[in-house]
Amino acid sequence: MIDLQHVYFAYEHGQYLLEDVNMTIRDGDYISVVGENGSGKSTLIKLILGLLSPSWGSISNTYRHRAYVPQRFETLNSQFPITVWEVLNCYRQVLHLKHKEIIRDCLEQMNVYSLKDQLIGNLSGGQCQKVLIARALMGHPDLLIFDEPSTGIDVRSQEELYPFIKDLNENKGVTVITVEHNLKFAVRNSTKMFHVVGGRGHFCSPKAYLDEYVSARWEGISNV
Amino acid sequence: MFEYAFMQNAFIVALLISIVCPLIGMFLVLRRYSMIGDALSHASLAGVAVGLLFDWNPVLSAFGLTSFFGILIEVLRRRFRRYAELILVIILSLSVGIAITIISAGLVHTNVESFLFGSILTVSTGDVYSVVALSVISLAVIARLYPQLVMLTFDEDGAQIAGVRSKLINYIFAVLVAATISVSIRIVGILVISSLIALPVATALQLRKGFRRTLIYSVVFSFIDILSGLLLSYYIDAAPGGVTALTSVAMLLLVIAYKECVFSLQEKRRRP
Repeated sequence: MIDLQHVYFAYEHGQYLLEDVNMTIRDGDYISVVGENGSGKSTLIKLILGLLSPSWGSISNTYRHRAYVPQRFETLNSQFPITVWEVLNCYRQVLHLKHKEIIRDCLEQMNVYSLKDQLIGNLSGGQCQKVLIARALMGHPDLLIFDEPSTGIDVRSQEELYPFIKDLNENKGVTVITVEHNLKFAVRNSTKMFHVVGGRGHFCSPKAYLDEYVSARWEGISNV
Repeated sequence: MFEYAFMQNAFIVALLISIVCPLIGMFLVLRRYSMIGDALSHASLAGVAVGLLFDWNPVLSAFGLTSFFGILIEVLRRRFRRYAELILVIILSLSVGIAITIISAGLVHTNVESFLFGSILTVSTGDVYSVVALSVISLAVIARLYPQLVMLTFDEDGAQIAGVRSKLINYIFAVLVAATISVSIRIVGILVISSLIALPVATALQLRKGFRRTLIYSVVFSFIDILSGLLLSYYIDAAPGGVTALTSVAMLLLVIAYKECVFSLQEKRRRP
């Protein structure tokens, strides 16, 4: 379980990016964190992952095996000289997993074993995303966090990716959190949405969020 | 040439430098920390000056003080993230200030020039022992922390989430950079150490291979650069630091030219 109580966050004594955020995520949830650009979604994820500490408030996270799939283009340097196999092998060693077969298993699970000797920078967006998911699966995570999984990947890869995430959530009991821009997949897959607006956030059902979103857009169009 | 003891010492030290420098350089270059290497190599002059002042082994005193400055940069970089370059300037001013004050006040009665430009003649047996000890320890630490260092370099957030203690490893890495610089001072000199750390890696990166193979190529290029620099400097009687820097640049240009030739040949073949 993840529990955020009255969380405030600001970078280096600046303005609060997140204010009084309260959030409880239970085992088996599939949460899509949605909101405008710059609303603080990625900061919220970094707080949950423990990469940032809150300026105020408390965060408890009982998940021991956390994995994170970053946005490909945000994080990776395409010129970085590393092969797919090396990425997974280093991760295996860091997690102290003894057997190398797990690399093969995870790459095969994502249908990208044939890419093992390719440089990560030479992969397409979809291939890279699959490799990063294969890496995340190596530690048998109980919490899997994605930062905009559909960014930079083609429609076909998106159609393959989301059912796979959904399957992990429903059949393998993995709690999933995604920072999401793709409304279609967010509404279709998540059990709850967490809407971040102006540094504050609230839970809503996918249907309620859709109604809220559509009426806001309709209001905007009507005003024009 | 190798019948001379000083040449044997120089060769042993050169061999170790050609392994340690690109190993550390690979992580520095890929983390975009090349300027930290440059700042620390200049900071090592303060360590040399303090060592000469108190009649300590200059390689070890350089290691001690450069490690201190390396850790200080890491601490300040964490506290003042927005002013990373400014921190390097402050450390550079402090360390070079200490060195120039000690040297210009006439407190040191040794030729400091050999530390700035490098020298084959001045590598003593004591230096060889300290260089061997520092190199072996550095190589052992790199081998032990290899997966953590690669992960931190490739994806720092992912590494932290996987349990890599990034803070501790960054401090250890700062000490490793200091060790690398200290072992290189005698042969290549303070002024061009950073070129030896970055250029073989830059050359190997042109080949677009995986991490381990790029690392191996960097060591090979570094070995060729240093050895040819050492031999040329012996024959033309120049400081090895300058000649090694020139051979490193020449090697980089050669590899870029080779790559371009291969690329244009492939393009020609592809044309209908």
